[in-house]
Amino acid sequence: MDNWVIIMMLGVSIFLGAIALFAFLWAIKNGQFDDEEKFLNAAKYDGEEDLNDAVAQEQKKKDLKKNYKPE
Amino acid sequence: MPNKVLCSHCHLEFDSSAMIKDGNLNFCCNGCQGVYHLLKDQGLESFYEKSKNTALAPPPQSYLDSASFDTESFRDTFVKVNSDGFNEVSLIIKGIHCSACVWLNEKALSKMDGVVEANINFTNNKATIVWADDVVKLSKIIDMIRAIGYDAFAYDAMTQEQYVNKERKEYYLKMAVAIFASMNIMWIAVAQYAGYFSGIAQDVKTILNIAEWILSTPVLFYSGWVFFRGAYYGLKANTVNMDLLVATGALLTYFYSIYITIMQRGEAYFDSVSMIITFVLIGKFLEVLSKKSASDTLDMITKNIPSEVKIVKDGVISLCKLDDVQVGDTVLISSGERVLLDGKVIKGQGSFDESSLTGESNPVYKSVGMSVVSGTTSIDADIHFMATKDFKHSTLSNIVTLLESAINKKPKIQQMANRLSEHFSSVILLLALITFLGWWFWPNSFETSFMVGISVIIIACPCALALATPVATLVGLSISASRGILFKEAAGLETMAGIDTLVLDKTGTITIGKPEVIRESIRKEFDRKLLYSLVESSKHPISNGVSKYIKAQLEDKEEIVFDEYTQVPAKGIEAKYKGMKLLGGNLKLLKKNGIDVDYSAEETAFYFVIDNELVAIYELKDKIKDGIEELMANMQKNKIEVILLSGDHKNITRSIANEVGIKSFLYEQTPQDKAEYINKLHSDGKKVVMVGDGVNDILALASADIAIAMGGGSDIAVEVGDVVLLDDSLKSLNEAFKISQTTFTLIKQNLLISLVYNAVTIPLAMAGYIIPLFAAISMSLSSLLVVGNSMRIRYKWSSR
Repeated sequence: MDNWVIIMMLGVSIFLGAIALFAFLWAIKNGQFDDEEKFLNAAKYDGEEDLNDAVAQEQKKKDLKKNYKPE
Repeated sequence: MPNKVLCSHCHLEFDSSAMIKDGNLNFCCNGCQGVYHLLKDQGLESFYEKSKNTALAPPPQSYLDSASFDTESFRDTFVKVNSDGFNEVSLIIKGIHCSACVWLNEKALSKMDGVVEANINFTNNKATIVWADDVVKLSKIIDMIRAIGYDAFAYDAMTQEQYVNKERKEYYLKMAVAIFASMNIMWIAVAQYAGYFSGIAQDVKTILNIAEWILSTPVLFYSGWVFFRGAYYGLKANTVNMDLLVATGALLTYFYSIYITIMQRGEAYFDSVSMIITFVLIGKFLEVLSKKSASDTLDMITKNIPSEVKIVKDGVISLCKLDDVQVGDTVLISSGERVLLDGKVIKGQGSFDESSLTGESNPVYKSVGMSVVSGTTSIDADIHFMATKDFKHSTLSNIVTLLESAINKKPKIQQMANRLSEHFSSVILLLALITFLGWWFWPNSFETSFMVGISVIIIACPCALALATPVATLVGLSISASRGILFKEAAGLETMAGIDTLVLDKTGTITIGKPEVIRESIRKEFDRKLLYSLVESSKHPISNGVSKYIKAQLEDKEEIVFDEYTQVPAKGIEAKYKGMKLLGGNLKLLKKNGIDVDYSAEETAFYFVIDNELVAIYELKDKIKDGIEELMANMQKNKIEVILLSGDHKNITRSIANEVGIKSFLYEQTPQDKAEYINKLHSDGKKVVMVGDGVNDILALASADIAIAMGGGSDIAVEVGDVVLLDDSLKSLNEAFKISQTTFTLIKQNLLISLVYNAVTIPLAMAGYIIPLFAAISMSLSSLLVVGNSMRIRYKWSSR
């Protein structure tokens, strides 16, 4: 067996694992696990409408930020 | 049969005739109807689908004006400006029952113009709201929360709480990286160990080494950063701590392994690097998890003090910041409110609860000209009083200052593992150096000597030592939690095992706190209903005791309405019914009415008089809780001195102390007296556990090494306590002692295991007998021994 096979397999598997790790780190930083109850309940209230609301909220935040001049 | 229906909003059940009909909907009140239609208009009616049939509290009908949320003083205290320039406030939302409530609040608020973010934590009902102040005012946001049937209070999101949360999050991130990398390294290590026995080509080995190198780098420098930091601060303070040992060990091993990898010979130890960091990091995290910070308690106490009071100026009532009230201002207190300033009553009258200052549960009657003290609570008094001191010099402020200093000065007994690790770390580092020099001067190559020196550090695996205490305390915490004993801080378990004095409060701690009738003496037959109705309306504990006793004898429990009814403070009750004059109370009441008594009561007595003739005497006594004998026996066995501190009179205190078998007792103690007594015990070199339940105990609780609060006691006492007994029983108190002793033994065992282990392996390592396989196995083995030993104790207790 050539050495590059080992290198490739190690590299690919660690890379894939790292993607999952970074997704997990991002989720922790983002506060998604801060409230365990809510985190579990979120699955129950998931739907198209809620997704739209979330996008609208993001947009609203952006708009407000643009126009907002704190005194 | 009345027809019961559910309210369409709150899902509480009422008689259908009492409901407000609205189409085919039924509402129990206008509030519920209003909320229902509001949700419908807002397009949020799916709330009812989400909440299923969870019963909600009907919305209150009236609120205080929300304008106070826009005042300057409110802004100063609670509102922050975040990095985007938006305003941010932390609120506690009242009335959250289910996850649908969280959903509803978040949705309703997000829909408002100008609200940037609304985030509610379901577990603790705390909300963070971010809004643009030029678009919407906070008072409008609060109005919305109230309109949908909830209420909100501002609270100071203390920097401390945020700091703790941030620290915890940091550990999660670091552990995630460390565990991920270590798990991958383990797989690679399997290949390496297989190769060690069956032969492996050097170039394959190098590839594996490089992969491990890449994986262990973030573990050492990202996850392991806490150890470098800890070692640095330790060195700055001139101490050698465990962090230094971990940091040097891991760092040296890391560089040595890089050297091996590049030179392409020998064995690399990247797996050891990441394993040490991961294990010790987990141990450290367990400690962080179970830490309670003193400032949290302080926040809880100051949070209980409102920041504004109502004052009357030129006939107008207005809110005034507590600090701005000046001597001579007229302050308004309504029933149920807390007095925040010292002063003199100038209008009105009523009774006050002074238990937080005196420990006496009897209400104290105040009228014009008498002084009111801050920290007390008005029971039924609506009064105006003139402030005689500003807030900074008030009694309440004094107590808070005393409490703050007591909490900050709370003695911290250094944990055994920390003390031990100081010596351990220095010894190991020294041994490693000696080994290295010894091998080098005993003509050996630098490389060999260096490797042997490092193997001493690796083999003296600090994992077991670092895990010894956290794992043991975790076992102790879980055992006690399952028995209704909450240790707020893991270190408390260890501290409590070294205690030599137990100080007990009387009322509510060793006695139940509710006097019961133990003797009845009837002089002349009378209608029991008269007495029952007389005592039932009073809130005094003695009346409650009599009322409970009479109630058991009565079949018809309807109360008589008296023609006249007056409570005479500190004496009893007077009433008139159909021309009869009824008196119920203590000896003083009888003397006042010129009635002679030829009865000598041993305990607290309640006399009942009809038309100046004594008809019945009841003797009441506060009962002692079960389990006191076992507690006393256990204390005696462990040579712990027991002391009784009571705010009560000499006779009552002595009688309880004698009955229980406590030799030393102090009576008529004020909260300050109690705290001073604890401090005196400290200066005599005693280590003190204080057990109490009331507000009058908090100063003493804060001063003690370990404060144990009864779960049924006052909120502040529970907050100040290091240990909370959920079932208020003495049996739990006794168990808490036993568990702490078991835990302490367990810590000692664990430390012994890791030390003995090191005593065996370190000489081997110094002699150069350590092969890589042995090093790796021993790494986990010592940790496993410690964890296994702890599990053994856990199993033993849970099967009891």
